[in-house]
Amino acid sequence: MKPSPLVRELFRILGPEAVLWRPEDVMLYEYDALSCLKQPEAVVFPTTTAEVVAVVKLAAREKLPVVPRGAGTGLSGGSVVSEGGIVLGFARMKKILEIDLENLRARVQPGVVNMDLTLAVSDHGLYFAPDPSSQKACTIGGNVAENAGGPHTLAYGVTTNHVLGAEVVLPDGEVVRTGGKFWDRPGYDLTGFLVGSEGTLGIVTEVTVRLTRKAEAVKTLLAIYDRILDAPRTVAAITARRITPAALEMMDGFTLRAVEDAFHAGFPMDSAAVLLLEVEGVREEVEEHADEIEAVCRENGAREVRRAKSPEERDLLWRSRKNAFGALGRISPNYYVQDGVIPRTRLPEMLEFIEQVSSKYALRIGNIFHAGDGNLHPLLMFDARDPSQVERVKKAAADIMAKCVEMGGSITGEHGVGIEKRDLMPLIFSPDDLELMRKLKAVFNPSGTLNPGKVLPAGKVCGELRIEASLGGIL
Amino acid sequence: MSPATEIAQAELAAIVGAARVVADPAACAAFAVDGQAPQCVVYPTAPGEVAAVLRYASARDLAVIPCRNATKLGVGNAPRRYDVALSLKDLNRVWHYEPADLTITVEPGMKLGDFQHFVARDGLWLPLDPPGGARATLGGIVATNAAGPLRLLFGAPRDIVLGMKIATVEGKVVKTGGRVVKNVAGYDVGKLLIGSYGTLGVIVEISLKLFPLPAERATVVIAAGTLGVARDLRQSILQSPLSPARMVLLDSRAAQQATASVAERTSMGPEIWLEVAGSARLIERCRRELGELTGPAGTNAQGVDAASAEKVWARATDLHAWAAEEAPSAVMLKATLPDSTLEEFVSRAEQEAEAERAEIAAFAQLGVGIVHLCILSELRVPTLLGLIQRLRAAAEALGGVLIVERCPPAIKKQIDVWGGAGDSLELMKKVKAVWDPKGILSPGRYVGRL
Repeated sequence: MKPSPLVRELFRILGPEAVLWRPEDVMLYEYDALSCLKQPEAVVFPTTTAEVVAVVKLAAREKLPVVPRGAGTGLSGGSVVSEGGIVLGFARMKKILEIDLENLRARVQPGVVNMDLTLAVSDHGLYFAPDPSSQKACTIGGNVAENAGGPHTLAYGVTTNHVLGAEVVLPDGEVVRTGGKFWDRPGYDLTGFLVGSEGTLGIVTEVTVRLTRKAEAVKTLLAIYDRILDAPRTVAAITARRITPAALEMMDGFTLRAVEDAFHAGFPMDSAAVLLLEVEGVREEVEEHADEIEAVCRENGAREVRRAKSPEERDLLWRSRKNAFGALGRISPNYYVQDGVIPRTRLPEMLEFIEQVSSKYALRIGNIFHAGDGNLHPLLMFDARDPSQVERVKKAAADIMAKCVEMGGSITGEHGVGIEKRDLMPLIFSPDDLELMRKLKAVFNPSGTLNPGKVLPAGKVCGELRIEASLGGIL
Repeated sequence: MSPATEIAQAELAAIVGAARVVADPAACAAFAVDGQAPQCVVYPTAPGEVAAVLRYASARDLAVIPCRNATKLGVGNAPRRYDVALSLKDLNRVWHYEPADLTITVEPGMKLGDFQHFVARDGLWLPLDPPGGARATLGGIVATNAAGPLRLLFGAPRDIVLGMKIATVEGKVVKTGGRVVKNVAGYDVGKLLIGSYGTLGVIVEISLKLFPLPAERATVVIAAGTLGVARDLRQSILQSPLSPARMVLLDSRAAQQATASVAERTSMGPEIWLEVAGSARLIERCRRELGELTGPAGTNAQGVDAASAEKVWARATDLHAWAAEEAPSAVMLKATLPDSTLEEFVSRAEQEAEAERAEIAAFAQLGVGIVHLCILSELRVPTLLGLIQRLRAAAEALGGVLIVERCPPAIKKQIDVWGGAGDSLELMKKVKAVWDPKGILSPGRYVGRL
């Protein structure tokens, strides 16, 4: 097989060692952590902004889609191609360009792995606060594109709260700098608008982020429940008591048994649910809050509240939580994870609803929630080889999504819209809202060649929206 | 009054009711911006009315400036034209209040003071101390992304707003974000509106995160004596685990002013004021450790009683009101800088002022990277202009920017109060054109005279 003229031109721009084009190579880029779609025509690995510009200009000339990709850990199809084109992989743009300790800033290339930035500043008592479960692999460019969250965003905010500036390549090859190193630069907050735009407005080639000082003290608690609904009731009680933990996670019994089998973190196999809670801050306050939280857990039916006795114990608990999706992969051939958000006081009601959905469609559903901020990750287990199960998963997912919206919530808290949820956007946005988004997108990406088919619904949605039909594309 | 104006007023009255269109010259004068008064002030009472007013103004090509009670109206370039003041003071309802969820949805005309009072009964607050203080409205705070020293611990409106409804010049009310605390559905359109100074659309509803009121708060003052000592103290305090809620550096003149008739000043020179919030044990520890930090610097940390502290914080945050009281012609500048250079900038500013024999006061928000400078002396226009330009150059040399927030119209004729907009101005122009293609919203007032 011979390289196409397009591929040969990419060779000229980047060198042959930075271009993948053989089907067996590009095949690896047809999926992310959610979905498996089309193969790109080529995958390229630029090392400089100038190379990105050259590739983008070539794509513009050839009217080819360009899809930026970090580590491919996304969960909504944001980094996979929807209609062919060139994938811009950022694996080789992974330099930390500047660390400014006194001003708590770092300037990084987009391919820097989230955890690597934290490790680079860790000796100075600093870290990068957004901590998605994939943080050992996912890149800061990807975090910016998806406005990534994580368990500790409850107290520290999501990616957008930590990004101050960016260098962006627009689809015509123009390079623009937005924001800066410091707050309140005059002008519209284009940086804030770019964060979470899923690579559809511009290709971020450099990011300026804020670093956070590590808390002096941290306490990690595990509250164990015999009745599942007592766990979300505790969450509501903690919020109502005006305590803000750094993280407040929930796993149901089904999920934690899978996790325990995989990681042996000491989760009780017979419990109905656990809450993983963390308080951080100044020593005095952490002790007080931990005691207070323990009391609230017990008042709300926790049969036991454990405290991590060492940093190793804490790490094991968090490793188990952050790798929980993987653990479920051991017991089910496929799962579909959702990302709805509801007001946190309605968690008990939602959990009951999910139980009903589970029995209605005869599907096992595992529940892992960023409970403290009402962000749900129900995992619907199925076997993709059985068409009837696939149908039931779509229906069940649609029911849960509709319930989130009915409760005044959102269809996605941190995974992004991508391809997965673009046709669900009319559930929460009016045609006018979406039209405005379309016009604003056209300011940055008038040709539509940057990451096409993401975020916004494909066309005008007429009549009643069929949620399960729109999920059909990815399951 | 021209016949065209009369028709416009009659038609606006048809939208909001005759009593809600005020053309009385004295009333209009209160809404004047840089010497230009509007032809009328319109007081809509519902989001739909705001949208209808905007659609009408757009059709008639009338220039509109949205506001409530004009606390921040002076910030911005002089308007290119100005026909209608759109006062949002009667949009002041609370829509959804969920204290257990720590969220609330309100209209923009509500004053911060009233808002804080409303949520305090549930032990909650909005941790913002913007210019304008209790009189500032939520709409104005969000439209200007106004934050004060509390930003150190709690962030700015940008970090606290969950969602909004916005009236557009097309006469629509669009939604961005939502009411839940985590949400990445669709483009973050709200970010464009926050800090857009009323040049894109008019915010008619805001959903916000709420925070638990701290159990206790305590203010400590440190007489730093010199800017060098202040710099060392800033570094050691911010690197300590104490995490103050807010911390400001007041130069000698600012300290004198902020503490006048409140606290006894025992020394001259700059002072650091800081507030810690939390439990009694935490506050006790902060007092102790601040003592340990300041001792070696040859100074000390003194507690301030709550009532006095509140007065000082009010003065050190509501600077425009203070400046207006102090000297009607006072000029206010805001520099945003690397935190590491705040003291150096204050020192440069003092030298520049000294050279012109001008009196200035400096309020630096430590850990946030912002210095508010107030030029108190009345200077001749060319002298003032030269001073402002040198201060702007000093800020830029340190990697920052300088915004002129309050100055005589003669100065505004000669400079862009925002400074340069950088290489993204073209994108900003296009963003503006999407929202407001005819340029009727606060025309000419924003960056690059958008």
